[in-house]
Amino acid sequence: MREIRFIQAINEALAEEMERDETVFIIGEDVQSGVFGASRGLVEKFGPERVMDTPLSETAVAGSAFGAAMAGYRPIADFMFADFMFIAANEIMNNAAKWHFIHGGRVNVPVVFFGNIGGGARVGPEHSQCPETIFMHTPGLKVALPSTPYDAKGLLKTAIRDNNPVVYFYHKRLLGIPGDIPEEEYTVPFGVADVKREGKDVTVVATSNMVQLSLQVAGELDGKVSVEVVDPRTLEPLDIDTIVKSVQKTGRVVIVDEDTLRCSVSAEIGMQIMERAFDSLDAPIKRVGAANLPIAGGYMEQYVLPQPKDIVEAIEAVTG
Amino acid sequence: MALKKEQLVKLYTNMVRARKADETMVKGLQEGKVVSFYHSGQGEEAVGVGGCTFLNEDDYVYAQHRGHGIAHILAKGASLKGFIAEHYGKATGASGGIAGFHFVEPERGILGGAGTIGWTFPVALGSALALKKRGKAQVVVAFFGDGASNRGTLHEAMNLASVWKLPVVWVCHNNLYAQFMPIRDAYAKEDIADLAAGYGMPGVVVDGQDVIAVHEAVQAAVERARAGDGPSLIECKTYRYRAHSEGADIAHYAPRDPEEIEAWKKRDPIKLFQEKLLEQGVLTEADIERIDKEVTSEMEDVERFAIESPLPDPSILEKALYAD
Repeated sequence: MREIRFIQAINEALAEEMERDETVFIIGEDVQSGVFGASRGLVEKFGPERVMDTPLSETAVAGSAFGAAMAGYRPIADFMFADFMFIAANEIMNNAAKWHFIHGGRVNVPVVFFGNIGGGARVGPEHSQCPETIFMHTPGLKVALPSTPYDAKGLLKTAIRDNNPVVYFYHKRLLGIPGDIPEEEYTVPFGVADVKREGKDVTVVATSNMVQLSLQVAGELDGKVSVEVVDPRTLEPLDIDTIVKSVQKTGRVVIVDEDTLRCSVSAEIGMQIMERAFDSLDAPIKRVGAANLPIAGGYMEQYVLPQPKDIVEAIEAVTG
Repeated sequence: MALKKEQLVKLYTNMVRARKADETMVKGLQEGKVVSFYHSGQGEEAVGVGGCTFLNEDDYVYAQHRGHGIAHILAKGASLKGFIAEHYGKATGASGGIAGFHFVEPERGILGGAGTIGWTFPVALGSALALKKRGKAQVVVAFFGDGASNRGTLHEAMNLASVWKLPVVWVCHNNLYAQFMPIRDAYAKEDIADLAAGYGMPGVVVDGQDVIAVHEAVQAAVERARAGDGPSLIECKTYRYRAHSEGADIAHYAPRDPEEIEAWKKRDPIKLFQEKLLEQGVLTEADIERIDKEVTSEMEDVERFAIESPLPDPSILEKALYAD
């Protein structure tokens, strides 16, 4: 094993897949410079035709990627901030997501829509969203959101090799976190949740950066409450079985996702737990997420986004 | 290069096939056999047929919604059975009956379609990018209407296709109306081809009722694209005879002058080409009658095939969501 940072893990996944398969290329605004460091250094290795800078043309970025995917390539469309994917919603949601299905399975669309998500930088409502809910809601899109360097690398490699459109989200607050990864080649399969911490009193289902916050809270509560933290890692496909198994053990659930609470990932997972494991529940399910407001900038951000104390309060409420 | 006799006959036959297939679709809708909807392309056959008949099998075509691409796809060599059966909701449809109206035949370079007008530009851009990377002198021919030219996606895609010198030919059906809206209310200039100057590519206006003019313009642009010299824009001035969508009024807030419709019908693309071929001695009256009979019989076969085909099994839906 060796320790690397989250953003390096992403960078390694891109480099290894580009090395392995010459149909893989990256396209987006300033990917040669690599704004968050994801694609930094790749143009020197693979050239500008495989690390393609575009102007401000999000529909063309999405269309270039999925139009090329249909013609035999495996593009990664980097939107820089995932918020900018909304500009290309037609290409991603109306076209790429539906294409294989609506054409009776005759055309494959192996494309990755790649973007940075989340708050913490206090940069306001169009650079801070966690938009995973709306993509999870859209049939035909797979959704990966890693919480550790190990998962970041393994899930991205799986995403690039998948023959379907995959939306891959990585969180601002995770870029610098360290973690161990194996020296040798590995991938992380889709649809397999990971128990990040074992516990017996309460199950915390968390995604992306909320996994790290939940682990921090679990550590602080150690000795008082035994917290199990389950990370689905992909929302579509969703490994509800692992979540249900944990709930059957603990009988109590808190679901933590940074997207806006209304109609959120946590609402979906919570309802599926109700449908699958109602008899195992010893307390009503609690959810933690962003307030039903646009994400405020500056000092106001913290009052919109979920904070560690919200996770603590939710755990106390279901275990109290 | 002048077309040979059999090529002229092929163009003529394809236009007759497109017209009769369109009539079959209109009839099928009126009889309740077409399950979804239909946007007739009668009057515009020369654009799809002239633009696609002499492309290579491995070139890509993105059709547009007039006639649901029928003129384009049949000229590209695709299956009319798959087209009609899809509209009839049958298992033998091109998309297995799931699409209702999107047509696909990857083996003929037809990768599919979508229902949000203007979708074509970014997708064609991407496929042209792939073809440039592949380096085998294939081209994409992307069709769109005057209505689609109002979408912002046109700007993003046409600009980048020119910046990257991609092998794509943009072909506009300017039929003067976007659903009900006349082009004078939607576009500040006369010619959509003028946009080409802003994107640094050649732009030409052709008579969209003259199949030879369309063919020659597209062929010149295709050769330029194959040579690595980048995209071109071709605007075909044309006209649709029927409503935007079958069952709707042809005009609403801005009624069409009946004389306008009659004037365009006098320049019907099939009639014009037929007169020319008769005059040149390429076809005789007997040939025309024979072609008409053959195409009528083809359409009867296609329609019978669609009627007799089974409905799809709903179990295909879950399986179609993802590729393995």
